[in-house]
Amino acid sequence: MVRPVLAGIVGLLLLTGCAGRFPADPEGTLDRVEGGVLRVGVSAHSPWTEVAPDGAPTGLEVDLVTEFAESLDADVEWTASGEEDLMAQLDRSELDLVIGGLTAASPWAEHSALTYPYTTVPGADGAPQAHVMAAPMGENAFLVALETFLLEHKDVQP
Amino acid sequence: MTVTFGHTDLPEEQAAALRTAKRLAWGTIAFLVGAVTLVYLTMGSSQAMKAAWVEDLLSFIPPVSFLVAVHFARRRPSESHPYGLHRSVGVGHLVAGTSLLAMGAFLIVDSGSGLLAGEHPPVGLMEIAGHPVWAGWPMIAAMVVTGIPPVFFGRAKMPLARTLHDRVLYADADMNKADWMTALGSIVGILGIGAGLWWADSAAALFIAVSIMRDGVVNLRVATSALMDARATTVEGDELHPLVVRIDEHLAGIPWVAEVGSRVRDEGHVFHVEAFVVPKDDAMPGLEELRQAREGLIALDWKIQDLVLVPVEALPQEMLPGSLAGREEARRA
Repeated sequence: MVRPVLAGIVGLLLLTGCAGRFPADPEGTLDRVEGGVLRVGVSAHSPWTEVAPDGAPTGLEVDLVTEFAESLDADVEWTASGEEDLMAQLDRSELDLVIGGLTAASPWAEHSALTYPYTTVPGADGAPQAHVMAAPMGENAFLVALETFLLEHKDVQP
Repeated sequence: MTVTFGHTDLPEEQAAALRTAKRLAWGTIAFLVGAVTLVYLTMGSSQAMKAAWVEDLLSFIPPVSFLVAVHFARRRPSESHPYGLHRSVGVGHLVAGTSLLAMGAFLIVDSGSGLLAGEHPPVGLMEIAGHPVWAGWPMIAAMVVTGIPPVFFGRAKMPLARTLHDRVLYADADMNKADWMTALGSIVGILGIGAGLWWADSAAALFIAVSIMRDGVVNLRVATSALMDARATTVEGDELHPLVVRIDEHLAGIPWVAEVGSRVRDEGHVFHVEAFVVPKDDAMPGLEELRQAREGLIALDWKIQDLVLVPVEALPQEMLPGSLAGREEARRA
């Protein structure tokens, strides 16, 4: 019993070594984005995200994502829509990231990987709200890269 | 004060084992409180960690049922419960088995559907003392810390379960001993997530769920069988208890006894014995001989106390189904 399990662990570690990243992306999102294109869905939620009539988004989260993309040497391709549509696109791997003033209490937690809260500010009712972004499920190298960036830029205040 | 199970006085060996077992049960509960908290704090969205956490939660049931069962089993028989409350062990065992089976089935569906739906578990960063750490590492650390001590608990409890003939304690020890497999399964699942193998986590969870359900089935089978007055078996539940043969042997060795047949059921800890003897030459033994025979049987083992000895003209076949020939064989072997 012990030997096959140990062999399995060693095998996994070897596999990991070959993949080069730990944790790794099952679908290779981070590898594709680096030096390529970061596809971001934006849902308007001032002051975190604002979508102008001509479609060019602005806001605190938009600035953060732009800087994150620069750190990966990637161009950003924005898609503005409603949250449900954007989450469906994220689920279908048509987007790499969704922003829109989401909080850790978001019901989308079952359909996306919500990041580590990068800032906590009082919400409309005065209760503290932890703000997060939504990454694709299980793309853990990408998630860790994004969270590392957010932790270095946390406590953004509106 | 002498320690008793019902009206059975426990010999020093059993009394000491009971004290140790109770301390171990409390120790297990204290350990589990810590383990459940630690695993809950680290589990994140890993299915395997969730399964391991549920298993830790379920692990509360056997030590708690042991303590409750022992508490009741020690009461003396009363007017309303003339056989004593030894069956509390069976009830505790049944409850433990049922909950294991139900949780195992739930987890199989839960992780199986995750596997079928191709759910990719996200495991990102968490901050520990200001340092960003991949959340998989604390999970693995939690599994190592919570996976090893139960093995020692299990090893310590196993001989006590045999000494006390306590099935709940035996089930607890058996589960404890296998706990490291759960921990290792979770670790493999988490390392799998790290390696980019999204299915490894659900697969590990499925493995844990199957092992929980298997525990449930085994315990449920032994518990129901004992509650339905199966003949007394060893604490593992798979073999005829040697005491059953020794009872017949002892009676057969008495000079005035021609034929012997007995049925022995496990009340939980102690046995309930109904022994039938056919005296030689149809001569009814005196009350003194009967008393000696009864006391000789009780002296065989602390588990025999509740005993009915019946002199009969012929062994009642309907009360000793099929056992006479089989017992003859066992005696010769």
